Amino acid sequence: MLIALDEHADAGIAIAKRALAHTESEIKMPLLFENKPTFADLLAAAGCRSIGPSAGAAPALAHGTRDIDTHGTTVIAVKYRDGLINVADRRATAGNTVMYDQAEKVLALDDYTLISISGSFAKSVEVVRYLRHTFKYFERSQLQPMSQGGKLMELQRVIANNMPAALQGIGAFIPVLSTFDRETNQGHIYFYDAMGGQFETAEYGAAGSGSGPIRGAFEYILRTRGPFREMSAEDALRESLTLLEIAADLDTATGGSAKYLPAAKYITADGIQDFTDDEIKRALGRI
Amino acid sequence: MPYSPYDWNESIQQRNEFIEDRLKDGSPVIALTYGEGLLLFSMRQTQRKIYEIYDRLMMSAIGNHSDIEQIRVGAIDAAHVEGFQRSPDDVSVQRLISFNISPAIKRVYSDPFAQPVVFRGVFAELGKTEDRDTMIVVSYDGEFRNSPRMAVVAGTAYAEDRMSAYLKTETESGTANLAVALRASLYAWGIGMKHLQTDDRADADYSESGEPAADISSVVSKHLSDRWTPEAAVLERNTSRENRFRMLTERDLAETVSKYQ
Repeated sequence: MLIALDEHADAGIAIAKRALAHTESEIKMPLLFENKPTFADLLAAAGCRSIGPSAGAAPALAHGTRDIDTHGTTVIAVKYRDGLINVADRRATAGNTVMYDQAEKVLALDDYTLISISGSFAKSVEVVRYLRHTFKYFERSQLQPMSQGGKLMELQRVIANNMPAALQGIGAFIPVLSTFDRETNQGHIYFYDAMGGQFETAEYGAAGSGSGPIRGAFEYILRTRGPFREMSAEDALRESLTLLEIAADLDTATGGSAKYLPAAKYITADGIQDFTDDEIKRALGRI
Repeated sequence: MPYSPYDWNESIQQRNEFIEDRLKDGSPVIALTYGEGLLLFSMRQTQRKIYEIYDRLMMSAIGNHSDIEQIRVGAIDAAHVEGFQRSPDDVSVQRLISFNISPAIKRVYSDPFAQPVVFRGVFAELGKTEDRDTMIVVSYDGEFRNSPRMAVVAGTAYAEDRMSAYLKTETESGTANLAVALRASLYAWGIGMKHLQTDDRADADYSESGEPAADISSVVSKHLSDRWTPEAAVLERNTSRENRFRMLTERDLAETVSKYQ
């Protein structure tokens, strides 16, 4: 009797299972595309190895690591009365060789954010491309811009992800980020260490091999001329280009302005603009 | 029971009726190229209708919002992977539609056990020059057609025809600027809406010389007073901003709308 009941029960379950299987195969949600929560997930799903958070396992560390010191350049970000200014030299080096004299190291991440890069040029360009796509992908798919905090977190994560490569002496990059917050009408400057640690500065930020030698000069300007954030655009540009010239004098990996003018951009509430060649020449005292 | 060609025919017919019935109330969309850019225009009650897809790509559609949303996100995904892996220049509306969007829509349309998408939309791509602006209208069966300079999407083929006819004569000598494009778009929207409402396909006294302006104005005015709001976005050819896409604000649209208020 008991056995018979069990058999009945089994048969019932089997029928239920069949019915369930049947409905599952017949009723389909027509998912045209699978949605991806982040750009990094999207790239991973597309089989593209990226530098984002889903980049996968980092390569094994080489035996004996080196200091992270491959960032021959000078990039400077300062605040001024209406926003922020970024200047950078244009030299790209490989060891003791000057590879290129027209490198563009101040790049726009969005309409109100500039990233000035030091370190491996190839890695930096890839990071900038990745971040641009990440920010835009978020805004376009979520229908709201990524928050300031979200953008900063993405950058920190990319730098932290790059740590193993940086320790091997390949592909280290350390940026300075300048961003203008339209809600508070204020500029912010952030600099980073190789682990993705983020530091906000009140007046200025600099990165690259030329930034160390001129650090004292920043402090001298602050004490003798007053804070950058109260300067006019002309004054702030002149001071930052002078600092860049000093860096070029003291650091072999930083290019001077004799051959090609340095890059100089500014961010205000109206977005990002280039300083014109004439404005740069005037600030350098050539006009 | 054997599955005959007749069954197939009938099932397709039923699907078409099901979808067309749901599309016919959609608020028409107009895509129009003008000198410095490309305009997408529509009127809406609640849901947003115009979306940015990629650097030089935007879309708008009528249909079920959940279907539109899926297609929108699918297009954004495909465009971003391509743009990152190769170059933003390799993302083109032609490739996106023929190899991603259209096949996916076609797949659910021809699967008798899947619910088809209720969707008809226009994808617009900003070219380097005006004559290279491209617009593609995609329908719920995966079928698409390419149209240069302008495109319309509406609930019925007849309404689309009337809108196209008006825009064709209006833009024959080119569209000078955004203000002109907006004015023509809003009027074309009124035409589309009128013909959707009156279902006057067999209307005999329709004159080829043009729409009776008073009728169209009253259609537009009525919707504006019923709290319909215009929605428009542009892709700008010459801009220093990172994003070429820009949603027009209420202020940008005030002048165009004021004529009907």
